[in-house]
Amino acid sequence: MTREETLNELKKVIAPYTINKEMLAGINDQTDLIRDLKINSANLVDIIIDAEAKYDIEIDYDSADKMTNVGSCLDVITEKINQK
Amino acid sequence: MISTGNDIVALKAINVARTKQQNFYSKIITETEKALYDEQFSDRLAFEQFIWLAWSVKESVFKYLQRVNPELVFSPSKIKLTELELPAAEGVSHFEGRDFNKGAVYESVIDYTPHTFYSRTIITDDFIFSVVNHTNSFEKVMWGIKEIDSTDADDQSKAVRTFALAMLNTFFPESELEIDKNRHSCPIILKDDAEIPVPISLAHHDRWVAYSFALA
Repeated sequence: MTREETLNELKKVIAPYTINKEMLAGINDQTDLIRDLKINSANLVDIIIDAEAKYDIEIDYDSADKMTNVGSCLDVITEKINQK
Repeated sequence: MISTGNDIVALKAINVARTKQQNFYSKIITETEKALYDEQFSDRLAFEQFIWLAWSVKESVFKYLQRVNPELVFSPSKIKLTELELPAAEGVSHFEGRDFNKGAVYESVIDYTPHTFYSRTIITDDFIFSVVNHTNSFEKVMWGIKEIDSTDADDQSKAVRTFALAMLNTFFPESELEIDKNRHSCPIILKDDAEIPVPISLAHHDRWVAYSFALA
């Protein structure tokens, strides 16, 4: 899966938790989940769980802590996919 | 270190079934915290309430420390509830004030090595609200919780600022105060465009907003 394909899938994971659909369409590595997409912090675990199901991976504590912006989410997901 | 941190979780907006799933709650609490719940609280506190109480306390600790250390990363598993005391009496009579009535709220001790924090938590049918402090005294902590009629992030942001300023203005009646964010996205109180040394924390979830600030 290319980084762009992973990004497109990640948009689907994030979509239920943001009302900022315009910004979601144009997200990049620097897009912050809370600050830019206005995702409530209470939904961050939902995104991690949904990403685990979507990519059939397991995201450990330390990796989950890093998932604060789109770039770090893609890095963690790619790393876990490659470890399968 | 004087700071403040609070968080609110709207219980109507959480997924109870998902909260009870091991793959979900294990991202929030450690096995030791799960054992604390199983051994001492499972007959008196719903599991989903324990999980979101833990989340709100941990998020509050993170907010407290992020003001001091802007590069801090939120790591729920490293912020550990080591003690929890349930309220002796049912319910609280007010949603805004100074300090908390002893015995009316949940109290916990949190280890975030090398720091120790203390929390006060209010749980109703609608929300779980927590405030943390670096001492086990909340005499200098002002706090408030309010329901608003919008779930829009911008509306929440405006509403919580207006709500907090109403209380702040009672302490600084001669001043034109504003609440802004610093370059690390941490809320600050401005008086005549200069930051004043009163740390403030803002929170919102669904239709609920909350603030805390610490007086010197």
